[in-house]
Amino acid sequence: MLKVEHLSKKFDTFPALQDVNFTIHPGEIMGLIGQNGAGKTTTFHSILNFLHYEGKITWEQQPITEKTFDTIGYLPEERSLLPKMTIEQQIVYLAKLKNHPAKEIKPQIDDWLKRFDVQGKKSDKIKTLSKGNQQKVQLICTLIHQPKLIILDEPFSGLDPVNADLLKNAVLDAKKNNAAIIFSSHDMSNVEEICDSLIMLKKGQVVLSGTVDAVRDSFGKTEIYCKTTKSLAELQQLPHVKKVEKKAHGQYLLRIDDENSGPEVFDALTNGEYVEEFRQQPPTLDEIFRMEAGEQHE
Amino acid sequence: MNKLWTVTLQTYWHQVKSWSFLLLILGPFFIIGCSALGGAIGASSDSDSQIAVISSNEQVRQNFIKNNGKYVDAKIKTAESAKKAVKKEKIDGYLVFETQKNQVKAVYHGASPIDDELKPKVKSYLQKMQSQLNLQQAQLAPYQLKALQQQPQYSEILQKNHQGDKLVKMVSLIIVIMVVYMVLMSYSSITAQEIASEKGTKIMEIIFSSTTAAKYFLGKILGIFGVIFTQLIIYIVGGWATYRWALHAKITASFMHNNQVVINKILGNLLNVNLIFLILGVIIYTILAAFSGALVAKPEDSSKAAQGTTMLSLIAFFLSFALITNPEQILPQVLSYVPFFSSFMMPIRIINGHVGNVEVILSLAILIVSIIGLTIYISKIYQGVILQTEDTSFWQRLKRGLAYSKA
Repeated sequence: MLKVEHLSKKFDTFPALQDVNFTIHPGEIMGLIGQNGAGKTTTFHSILNFLHYEGKITWEQQPITEKTFDTIGYLPEERSLLPKMTIEQQIVYLAKLKNHPAKEIKPQIDDWLKRFDVQGKKSDKIKTLSKGNQQKVQLICTLIHQPKLIILDEPFSGLDPVNADLLKNAVLDAKKNNAAIIFSSHDMSNVEEICDSLIMLKKGQVVLSGTVDAVRDSFGKTEIYCKTTKSLAELQQLPHVKKVEKKAHGQYLLRIDDENSGPEVFDALTNGEYVEEFRQQPPTLDEIFRMEAGEQHE
Repeated sequence: MNKLWTVTLQTYWHQVKSWSFLLLILGPFFIIGCSALGGAIGASSDSDSQIAVISSNEQVRQNFIKNNGKYVDAKIKTAESAKKAVKKEKIDGYLVFETQKNQVKAVYHGASPIDDELKPKVKSYLQKMQSQLNLQQAQLAPYQLKALQQQPQYSEILQKNHQGDKLVKMVSLIIVIMVVYMVLMSYSSITAQEIASEKGTKIMEIIFSSTTAAKYFLGKILGIFGVIFTQLIIYIVGGWATYRWALHAKITASFMHNNQVVINKILGNLLNVNLIFLILGVIIYTILAAFSGALVAKPEDSSKAAQGTTMLSLIAFFLSFALITNPEQILPQVLSYVPFFSSFMMPIRIINGHVGNVEVILSLAILIVSIIGLTIYISKIYQGVILQTEDTSFWQRLKRGLAYSKA
């Protein structure tokens, strides 16, 4: 279990993190969201002891030390490998730094290259690989030693949908192996899709935290997606409707003032007749992100 | 420990397998080889430049050829054939021996002056012939003959600090200073570039999420020390093999034989405590170079990384040449205890024989303690320095790096 308590960090006088608290249990995936400069990478760097910080960070109730590093898999935001090494040398070198001997790692390399569909032989030099394949090799380096704590800084950036799926599957496999996983992302759909919990930072402070559903529900089920023959003007006249937005394919989004008024809105909209779609839900993470980032949430 | 050796071996093989290391190793052997080849070619061309010897007295001719055979084309016996050979450039010239009115004469005919080496031999031979002729003409009694044949005797009794020793010292000093300077310049540059190429890269974040920065830094330094020791061992073994070869090779044997004492003294001056000063000097400059490399703004600046270390070594290099003749002045005495300078200055004082064992040990101790202290200190701030990515000024980067251990 990773436990972060009262984590604060200042760069000169600038407060990069202020009293950040969270816990990640084994088998849990946590999404760390926030705008650029919100403190996501600083949080990761604090966990990894790259920085001096105030507060307490523990893994399995123990401070994080070099011994703990052997159980950590870290993927930094920008990709970087040693270009003159071959794929095999690179993977083995980084695995040896995690105290996994070459004889244990070498037999696994072919399977991992196949699993991530890396285009190239393990004897190819890193510098000869495409950017995408280098990214995959780096991901293999992060995961091949079966880490128990996985820290991924913007892992989906630059990945096409096919490779993003490969990554998601790898993260979900690691979860099955009981790893505690934390990753940062600007793409809320990825967070929504695979995370159990999330934490949102804004100017170094936690503004949202909890399970994905709880966070969404905390904003109330104030959105209704529907398909109807009524006009925009007619929809705006419905009770409790604050705002109406026309979406694609004949769909409307109604924002209501009270989540308990859903049945009343339903009755007024349908008058007992059939409607193709009526779905009441909380805001999406993307909307919550925009609201929180833009301080629009009341 | 495993992680330390993993970094050490990775650094070692990365350097040893590079072309620059191969060139660094082969360079001196290439220069020695070229010199030897040049000498051999010179020697063979010298042996080609022969002359003919002509004399109406065949005994005179044969005696000269007997003693100076390598300069003479013995097949040519007449002035006519010699002239033709000179014209066809088969020989450089020809020497004609004559005896007229009890006087021995030798006349050299050629397009260019007679060989400088041969000229005194011809004069000596003439002198000998003339003496014999004079003695025959004088018709001396045996005791008179014996008295005249009495030869003077010359011998040398040398003081301890005679000129030869001064030459040995000067050559030893120059070699020591040059070797220290060249080796540490090479490795300062290699080390600084090795470290600078990683500056601010994300691979360092991956590595520091696996091992401590202190262990990584130590591994890097040990890897480079491994490369330095590999080079030194190759040079010592190669140098010994070259020395053995030179003792017996045709083109160098006489030089080695004539200068054996001087050469052995120079080697003795190099392969003693001065070698330890050399190694420790290279080590402390290597550590400083690693720190310089870590202080560059970005990997692209790696070529500039060694500048600080290079400047310091240049100052030490020029100071040691400036003070080479007066090593017992106060400045060289003080500098012989100051790390970064002592590797140049103390060997100078040792070779000059003006320094006691206690002073040498004290200087070595200061150097070793400085190396350990510097390594520990840089290890502590290494992570903070190497992970900096801001393109700030050198002094800001240094300030932030130095502040890292206290933050």
